[in-house]
Amino acid sequence: MNTILKALAASSLLAVGLASHASAAPVTLTYWSGFTGGDKQAYEDLIKKFNTTHTDIQIDYQEQPWDSIAQKLPTAIISGAGPDLATPDYNVATLQQYVANGLALPLDGLIGTGADQVAPGVLPQTVTDSFSVDGKLYAVPANFATLLLYYNKDLLAKAGIAAPPKTMTELQDDAVKLSDGQGQYGIALADNATIQMWPVLIWADGGDLISGKCSALADPKTVGTVEKWAALIRDKKISPVGSTGQDADNLFAAGKAAFEINGPWAAGQYKAAKVNFDVAPVPVGASGKPVTLASTVPTIVSSKTAHPKEAQAFLAWWLSKETQAQLSTSAGYAPSRTDMATDPSITGNPTVAAFTAQVGNSRLYLPTEKDFAKIDTGIFIPAIQSAEQNGNAADALKSASDQLNSLLGCQ
Amino acid sequence: MATASIGARRHRRGHAGLLFILPSGLIILVFVIYPIVQSLWMSLHDWSMFQVTHPFVGLANYAGLLHDPRFWNALLNTIVFTVATVPLQIAIGLLLALKLVRSSWWTIFLRSVFFFPVISSFATMAIVWRFLLSADVGPTAAWLRSAGIAPIDALHTPSLALPAVILVGLWKNIGFTMVILLAALQDVPESLKEAAVLDGANPWRRFLNVTLPSIRHALLFASIIAVIVSLQVFDQVYVMTRGGPLFRTETLVTYMYEQGFTEYRSGYAAAIAWVLFLIIMAISVVQLRFFRYRDVD
Repeated sequence: MNTILKALAASSLLAVGLASHASAAPVTLTYWSGFTGGDKQAYEDLIKKFNTTHTDIQIDYQEQPWDSIAQKLPTAIISGAGPDLATPDYNVATLQQYVANGLALPLDGLIGTGADQVAPGVLPQTVTDSFSVDGKLYAVPANFATLLLYYNKDLLAKAGIAAPPKTMTELQDDAVKLSDGQGQYGIALADNATIQMWPVLIWADGGDLISGKCSALADPKTVGTVEKWAALIRDKKISPVGSTGQDADNLFAAGKAAFEINGPWAAGQYKAAKVNFDVAPVPVGASGKPVTLASTVPTIVSSKTAHPKEAQAFLAWWLSKETQAQLSTSAGYAPSRTDMATDPSITGNPTVAAFTAQVGNSRLYLPTEKDFAKIDTGIFIPAIQSAEQNGNAADALKSASDQLNSLLGCQ
Repeated sequence: MATASIGARRHRRGHAGLLFILPSGLIILVFVIYPIVQSLWMSLHDWSMFQVTHPFVGLANYAGLLHDPRFWNALLNTIVFTVATVPLQIAIGLLLALKLVRSSWWTIFLRSVFFFPVISSFATMAIVWRFLLSADVGPTAAWLRSAGIAPIDALHTPSLALPAVILVGLWKNIGFTMVILLAALQDVPESLKEAAVLDGANPWRRFLNVTLPSIRHALLFASIIAVIVSLQVFDQVYVMTRGGPLFRTETLVTYMYEQGFTEYRSGYAAAIAWVLFLIIMAISVVQLRFFRYRDVD
């Protein structure tokens, strides 16, 4: 009897010991990230920092091309074999698909004043609006960028242009002056496979793609803007036709384009290419208001995660001032917080400060449209390309507007 | 008794044969048969990879294709690509094979040169070609400009983008056709050629009446493969033009990719895949009948 009791006691002690050991093991969260480009190192360094400073949570950070994530993530989450955290797409609108199908966890506990929370009002309103559905937040920004006008200082100086343009009219005139019609372009305007530049031109003149719930593509301001720029591209060869974002970046990096509207991720490439460049706010158009494009990538928590508390704790850390300061200074992004505009780490870095200063003027491109891909690649881009190739902006945009209204359910 | 013993041996051999092919059969079942059946099933549903449930819609996806102008545009581009590529690929492949049939160090070297593109990654080669053909930063454009010739931006010109993609496809696949036909040419009996010479046939008649019939099986194989590959063209289109400009290079497979993985309409994309499969099947049947009908052996 005594022997049995001793054996039972020993087994119990062993079990308790093992349980204690098990509960001390950190929670590992898998994070699928699409940041494989020039800013990859900045993200890797931050994840390493998190893992070093957190013994209770570890991030298994897995980088994959955006195409791979798009193909694998939905079914992975549905099957329960997906990651705990992920950046589903660099297009914000894709988030709507994940939310509508219950694949993203609402981040109810994230906004608050406690530890492992983010204070209300810290996230930019445009982000909160785009990442929320029915009043619930479903994602946080992995980054937040605005677009500025990159300009080649040497090319401008050679053409006798003393300062970067402040208005769209000046930009158009300068672009004409800086083009030679034989492969030297005033501006590299990409129209496909890019962070969109054409919407910036349209917004600057008061036009839009969608106004309210219906198409604004046939709006006279939209048509007028596209007509003007398309005519300059066709007749004065200020930009190549049909460029992708990569084509446009290559042109600017090769010194074959004097201007480009681009985000902070491009600066590293241009520095490496030894381009003598600087950045300026996107010129003001006929609307009289400064405007530029905002670009942000949502990070979601899988609805099937076994560790929602830990995942939200990581997101709160990601949005902390210290983390955002490091991301900004290493990758050039504006911080995803509205309360860091006067932070010395931001103001002390001229490039970051320049991008951050435009946050208030920035807009997201089709952030909540579930049919984003169809609108962008199937309707808007073909209309722009048709205007560039054929000079039929009014007809092309009218046809595009009809298609868009049909898709949106507008008469 | 002897008959029963033979029957039993055949029975055991049959069992053994089945066991030997079982592993391969399982792999084919899981990775080939099941996906084919699954894709047919998906094509009959409103299937999105985001959804847990997928409503049955019958032939609605197929009916949607009939009224989809982008589908018809993609089909037309695919047919044009195939009609332009296959005859040229066979003709140039045959010409190269005829010229390189005799083995010498020079012909062996040239065979390797022409075959090298076949073994290289198509996506990588398409990126290289995109750079070469770039009218802005490509070396071809730079050489032309230095010679006083204005380069043409083929990949961004609607009327030239598809021909440019066709040329890259030809460059990539000619080596494969050449090797197939080379092997067949080397098997043509010398006695037939000698007999034709003795009968007074000139080189052209010998080619038409001796060589071509003798390599018919290889021509059939090469042309069926060329048609199948052409109808499924994707890599060079996706990398070089993404279906543009203005959908002038969009093919059935690039459209299928966009529908399935950009717009997440997996059921619709599966319907496109099945339409493509039926087209390939129909063309392959016609090809087989054509070559068999001409069989004079």
